[in-house]
Amino acid sequence: MRDGGDASAGAEPPAGGATGWGKLVGFAPYQAFVALVCASPRRQFFLLAAFPAIWVLSQHLGPIVQMLYVSFTDAYPVTSGVEPRLTLENYRRFFDEAFYRVPFYRTLVFATTFTLATLVITYPVAYFLTRIVSRRNRLLMLLLLLIPFWVGEIVRTFAIMILLGNNGAVNLLLKWLGLIERPIPFMYTGFSISVGIIYLTALYMLLPLYSALEKLPRSYGEAAADLGAGPFTRFRRVTLPLTLEGIASGCILVFLISTGFYGTPVLLGGPSTTVFAETIAGFFHVAGDEWPTGAAFATIMFSTVLVLVLVFQRFMTSLRKGDTR
Amino acid sequence: MTTPRYTRRRFLGTAAAGAATLSAPAILRRAHAQGGEVNVWTYANFVPDSFREQFEAETGIKVNIRLVDDQGKQFNLLAAETPNPTADIVTVAGHRFLQFIDSDLLAPLDTDRLTHWGNINPTFSESDWATINGNKWGAPILSGMEVLAYNTDVVSAEEARSWDVLFADKYAKQTAYIIQDMMSIIMLKLGYDGNMVAYLDDPAEAARIVEEAKQYLIDRKPLVRKYYDGGAEVQQMFINQDIVVGHAWNGPIATLINDGLPVDMTIPKEGSYGFVYTYNVTNNGPNADNAYTFLDAILASSEIGAMMTRASGFISTYKDAARHLTEIERKSTSFTDEELAGLRFFRAEANEMKYGLVDPAVEAIKAA
Repeated sequence: MRDGGDASAGAEPPAGGATGWGKLVGFAPYQAFVALVCASPRRQFFLLAAFPAIWVLSQHLGPIVQMLYVSFTDAYPVTSGVEPRLTLENYRRFFDEAFYRVPFYRTLVFATTFTLATLVITYPVAYFLTRIVSRRNRLLMLLLLLIPFWVGEIVRTFAIMILLGNNGAVNLLLKWLGLIERPIPFMYTGFSISVGIIYLTALYMLLPLYSALEKLPRSYGEAAADLGAGPFTRFRRVTLPLTLEGIASGCILVFLISTGFYGTPVLLGGPSTTVFAETIAGFFHVAGDEWPTGAAFATIMFSTVLVLVLVFQRFMTSLRKGDTR
Repeated sequence: MTTPRYTRRRFLGTAAAGAATLSAPAILRRAHAQGGEVNVWTYANFVPDSFREQFEAETGIKVNIRLVDDQGKQFNLLAAETPNPTADIVTVAGHRFLQFIDSDLLAPLDTDRLTHWGNINPTFSESDWATINGNKWGAPILSGMEVLAYNTDVVSAEEARSWDVLFADKYAKQTAYIIQDMMSIIMLKLGYDGNMVAYLDDPAEAARIVEEAKQYLIDRKPLVRKYYDGGAEVQQMFINQDIVVGHAWNGPIATLINDGLPVDMTIPKEGSYGFVYTYNVTNNGPNADNAYTFLDAILASSEIGAMMTRASGFISTYKDAARHLTEIERKSTSFTDEELAGLRFFRAEANEMKYGLVDPAVEAIKAA
């Protein structure tokens, strides 16, 4: 490890110091700055960590803290000259009115269902990619699966609308096959939301599963087979337990994303599928002093999801530990 | 299903737009090169592209448009930027003036600086809602209304004479509406004042009426296909034949009619509500002089009004704008005297009480 003296030595101007870099390293204040921050490994660590820390605090935690503060105020945006007061009223509204809690519970049920469905759908795909597809073609297959994700959420949602509409490809195909006479109203139902969200979140489940399955040596399964384990037993006793980490990561990602989806439920949902993000957005759309209520509701959802994810993680950890004992 | 196509009507519309563009240099001759920029918050198609290009070329003022799709969102965004907003011009519906004025978001409009103010039909520029606290606050540009839209291949004009068709078993799961707007319409249909001005002194009665309207919509919730929010959504649903009848703003439906889809609209016999969009100069906006130059230019001729109607589907407030529309465009933006007799304009006086009751009711309907 370098000491302070080395750092200073490293700041010596190289030959041909006429370049911009040469001028900088020969600049006395710069040399003093380098000597100061590189004087010890601890200082070097803080220098390196400073920018990521500032980024995380200002861009990630900052808005959340601001939203938390707004949720305890009685007015926002604040009219000039008015001082906002702190209140718990915004949280009370959630617990007082059942109709605010209905979309909240619905969102949690939807998110759980979508997460499980995405897992069930993508696990075989990941298994196929890692176990059946040759290493040479694997990248190509992954690329093909990634292509839809090169466009934004809204565009892909509109693609689902085109697919599931009364005049959409699915209904046209069913009509052409003679299976239906009138179009099936797929759109604006729980079904269309499910199709949309599973489609949009599939990659977030697939990649952790792919990663976990790829790391799993084939020899484990072969050893289990040598000991007499059938395909189902090998999957249940070897593959599944050893990919729990990937399952946990994928499930958490999909669950988190599903609870926050707004555009897709708005476009694909029907009158009985309103999710909590729509309720929250409603407070931000309405002119007046409703932002604090929206912020409070967002905080409630954020806290609930945080708790659920922690519980889930603990559960998955105990499963993994149980398996290795 | 009829799909949008390049028809003779569309050709005529395009030709008319082109003619208006060619005549634009004369329209903007008063403007002189002054440079800078003007920031306009407005709805899609409210500033015609050809006008914008002409304006920028002749004045050197760059027009920065930020699209808005909701009055409430626009209010919140502007309020968040106060006292130094980035917007110079915003687009406020006449019945929302009070809220913006009370929050000091708008500057009174100096109509003496607008040489073309007289091009606006006095029905709009001089109506009672246009003057608040002795000042004008906006230049009326487009007028809209809540209409009943229907697929003419499926629903007859006779059926569409009443809002009841929206709740008919025959069209179950083939209807859509904006709940918040429908609350006002249902109150009107039930014989009440949907503006709630009549109940300003009787909040208990106002609450009872909102409860009745809410229950009406909850009872009929199984019949609706979709609660929607924006014009593009209802257009999409009609194009895809997901719905055959729905409540809508006239603008998006007029666009469908002009595109040749089998869609028509009406103001049902129970009546409906209208609104006027205005361009407003913000309080302490960064480019106030450019804002006035922009406003004066856009008010300069009835051709520009017609272009705005053609692009948005809403009805121009300019004198003689209809003269520059094609026959189908005129048809899609006009209503019979009988229909117009049932039209009332949204009013702002009771908004605080009204939306304090209606907003939770909307959430309750969604959750029911």
